[in-house]
Amino acid sequence: MEEEQAMSRRVYLDHNASTPVHPEVVAAMLPFFGEVYGNPSSVHAFGRAARDAIDDARARLARFLGGRPDEIVFTSGGTESDNFGVKGLALARGSGHVITSRIEHHAVLRTCEALERQGFAVSYLPVDGQGRLDPDDVRRALRPDTLGISVMHANSEVGTIQPVAEIGAIARAHGVPLHVDAVQTFGKIPVDVDAMGIDLLSFSGHKIYGPKGVAGLYVRRGTKMVSIQHGGEHERRRRAGTENVAGIVGLAAAVDVRSREMHAEAERLAGLRDRLWDGIRSRVPESQLNGALVARLPGTANVVFRHVESESIVLGLDLKGIAVSAGSACTSGNVEPSYVLVAMGIPVDWAMGAVRFSLGRSTTAEDIDYVVDTIEPIVRKLRLASPGRAAVGATVGT
Amino acid sequence: VRYSPIVVDHFLHPRNAGLMRDADATGQHEDERCGDLTRFALRVRDGRAAEVRFQTYGCGPTIAAASVVSELSTGRTIEDLLEVSAEEVVAALGGLPDDRRHAADVAARALHGAALDYLHRRDGRSGPAGEGG
Repeated sequence: MEEEQAMSRRVYLDHNASTPVHPEVVAAMLPFFGEVYGNPSSVHAFGRAARDAIDDARARLARFLGGRPDEIVFTSGGTESDNFGVKGLALARGSGHVITSRIEHHAVLRTCEALERQGFAVSYLPVDGQGRLDPDDVRRALRPDTLGISVMHANSEVGTIQPVAEIGAIARAHGVPLHVDAVQTFGKIPVDVDAMGIDLLSFSGHKIYGPKGVAGLYVRRGTKMVSIQHGGEHERRRRAGTENVAGIVGLAAAVDVRSREMHAEAERLAGLRDRLWDGIRSRVPESQLNGALVARLPGTANVVFRHVESESIVLGLDLKGIAVSAGSACTSGNVEPSYVLVAMGIPVDWAMGAVRFSLGRSTTAEDIDYVVDTIEPIVRKLRLASPGRAAVGATVGT
Repeated sequence: VRYSPIVVDHFLHPRNAGLMRDADATGQHEDERCGDLTRFALRVRDGRAAEVRFQTYGCGPTIAAASVVSELSTGRTIEDLLEVSAEEVVAALGGLPDDRRHAADVAARALHGAALDYLHRRDGRSGPAGEGG
């Protein structure tokens, strides 16, 4: 009975993982499945109609980022964009040194590791307790053979926003290209490639109410790059493969919506995010907010609950209709605490109890209050059954 | 939810969770790879587990496995507790996904530890610190 009532309420707080496609985006995409189906590379009218749609989308994307249309390359996802950005820079030079951080997305970290196996050198810079990279560390890591710097704009797990403009100024001063993984910030907070000194920027559609399977890489004119996907002469010979026309149109439509809503939405989400943490902090002892307090994504709150494993909290919330993600991942009996939290110096036993809440357009104050009301007894009960480590709240019987 | 109704029920409403004062035996097991830890405490009467309580730290299935083991072992002889296998625990839970079967293993081994601790105490030897498996 209790579960039946709870399941009638569903609260999605996993927007950093993915978002629902906005109805305006769906409407914009629909003609490109049936009416406009030509191959953009075809010269006939069917192809030209598709080409026009892509050109139009490209111009809107460029305007949104402060770049030029020929600097936008469409890809299949944020992972491809990151691979393209980092490998494209490195392979164009053949050898040398890359600077990145320890808390990048795996799409950058694993790409850097692959480059190391090919003889490149990589510096993985540390972050501070809030997950922030020190621009001075970037400066100190520069070598004569440094071929590029790759840093994320904001971290998906904790939401900390990096000082990209400061790093961009350093990169400029030393003539080193800067790649920025902006998948978590694009369409959420302002991004301006010129003002921030960015040469390459990864962005994606499905984090901002666009479709999955479409993304892009901004490539500043004059940046020495090679393709990593070969075939036809699409995307000005930079990325082979027939364009995902409906997806690209959807991505541009999503950006249009974000242009209108982004600033007000950021303010609203930051208020709800703080309401969530205030609620948890006042109701659940031994909880801690991770990441930067101020320079943080508006909708992201990463909270650790001591003495409890995050996966059990995620399950408890899931059974009450609430979707969040766990900071630790248990795969086939191996639990890995989040490498991001570990890099931030958070003790492993705390990191094991990390839960990420990521808010979005649909999130209401009532949702937040429901989550706070729900999580308090879940954590209390789990702690009651938790061995030794749990003196907290152990005054209530089972 | 990817878990059986029994797993969900025991996770949401764990039976016999908590500490036991003056237990006749205790045992615990920790999975070194994933850090899941379960501890059992037994009250023994006439050679049988009259009362079983547990504490656990781990994922949902680990909590459910400890809870279900506390139920299925109550009333059984101590020797019988040594026969409780991970397979029996999985069956009692209505099944577990392959990547969560360690939850049953941790619970069974912790129970064996408690049973061995009792036997050692009864036979007047110092116990192996309750570490089973």
